[in-house]
Amino acid sequence: MKIYFISIFILMSGILSYGQAVDQLVNNCVMNAGTDAKYLKDFRIELGKASGKNELRYKANMSLWKNTKYRFSMCNSSDSKGELILNIKDNTNKVVLSSFNQKTGKIYPFIDFICNKSGIYQLNFDFTDGQQGSGVGIVSMIR
Amino acid sequence: MKRKIFLLSLFICLCFSCRNSSKKSSGFVFPEADAVPISEAEKLSPEAIADISKNISSPVEIANLLQTLEIPFSQSYLASSIDANKQNTNVDKALKLGILGADLGYLNMYERTGSSLDVLSSIRKLSEDLKVDQFFDFESIKRLSKNKSNLDSLLFISIDSYSQIDNYLRTNDRGHLSALMIIGVWLEGQYLATQVASQFPDKSLCDRIGEQKIILNDLLLLVSPYCNRDSEFTVLCKDLQEFKEKYRDVKITYTQGDPVSVEKNGGLVITQTETSVVEMSKEQLTDIIEITKSIRNSLIIK
Repeated sequence: MKIYFISIFILMSGILSYGQAVDQLVNNCVMNAGTDAKYLKDFRIELGKASGKNELRYKANMSLWKNTKYRFSMCNSSDSKGELILNIKDNTNKVVLSSFNQKTGKIYPFIDFICNKSGIYQLNFDFTDGQQGSGVGIVSMIR
Repeated sequence: MKRKIFLLSLFICLCFSCRNSSKKSSGFVFPEADAVPISEAEKLSPEAIADISKNISSPVEIANLLQTLEIPFSQSYLASSIDANKQNTNVDKALKLGILGADLGYLNMYERTGSSLDVLSSIRKLSEDLKVDQFFDFESIKRLSKNKSNLDSLLFISIDSYSQIDNYLRTNDRGHLSALMIIGVWLEGQYLATQVASQFPDKSLCDRIGEQKIILNDLLLLVSPYCNRDSEFTVLCKDLQEFKEKYRDVKITYTQGDPVSVEKNGGLVITQTETSVVEMSKEQLTDIIEITKSIRNSLIIK
């Protein structure tokens, strides 16, 4: 019985400390988005290692509006094996931006996007090479 | 001679094929059916519903647009008549929670901390009644409201609280209340935009109002499973259908182009050259302003 309670206690402590770590990561990422950035949304991503190299695995939709400058900031937790990357597709499935340059291998920690076409966009996140990782993507508006 | 005819035919074909590849792509239209069938909406996965709830534009974005246009703050746009103590049903409470959330975003953006504390106390009462107050860190929000230098933290903590409530309600079989809250947020943002547009009809603001056509169908999808739940929902669904009617002939078209990117300060700056173009007559805008005012006011005076 004791072991049962201890196991539950350890499990709950683990869950709570993980939650706190994620919250801390989100807070830090929001604060580091820039003094000119105003927080809009965040996406908390936790992925295991991918079985194959396919499309970016974490998908979410978001409306983006014309005449607005958005900033997408990516932050990784320290235990991530890969780096968080993002690409965004429009309603025709066309990639409008990517934080990962496939030709040079360069990864950008943030992207400013000057939106001129209002609509619902698909945000796709993953970690480089389909590695395991956890991180957060922050969407802010820039004045 | 044959060769000349062949070349002439080829030239004509090329001319027509160039015309077909016009830079203007097809515009945004509502799906064929006038109303989203309930059975279709019921099939929506929890992920799809979560996506829809994230699609709805934030009132903070509307407030940001107003600030960019140097529109002065006005207390008259707020739903000050809402008395949190006089809301009888959970439907009323969830809708008002959404409406006041949008007002809070507007107040925060304009740094009107005195008024935001009043709104906050109403939000507290409604969220306690709906048993979702655990997601609001009221003390932190109050503290940040008083400290104007922490606007970003204030926006984060306020928006995040609403996101957590939305998520909690959806995952605890209270999706109908989540839908109402989201509709409340959207409706108040729409009211704010239309009221300002009626006084300052700036092109970019009018365009933003016209562009709401893009997410109106999502709002209908969100609420459709509950349209027959009770009379309050039936009225709300009817109201949203009226909105849809007013938007039916607003046209949104797109021009094509490739994004332009440059590196700056270690990041990437991407300018989209594709554009969306809104075609909306003055009459259509007036109708939308009127229907928004009518529906929003009928809800807040309850």
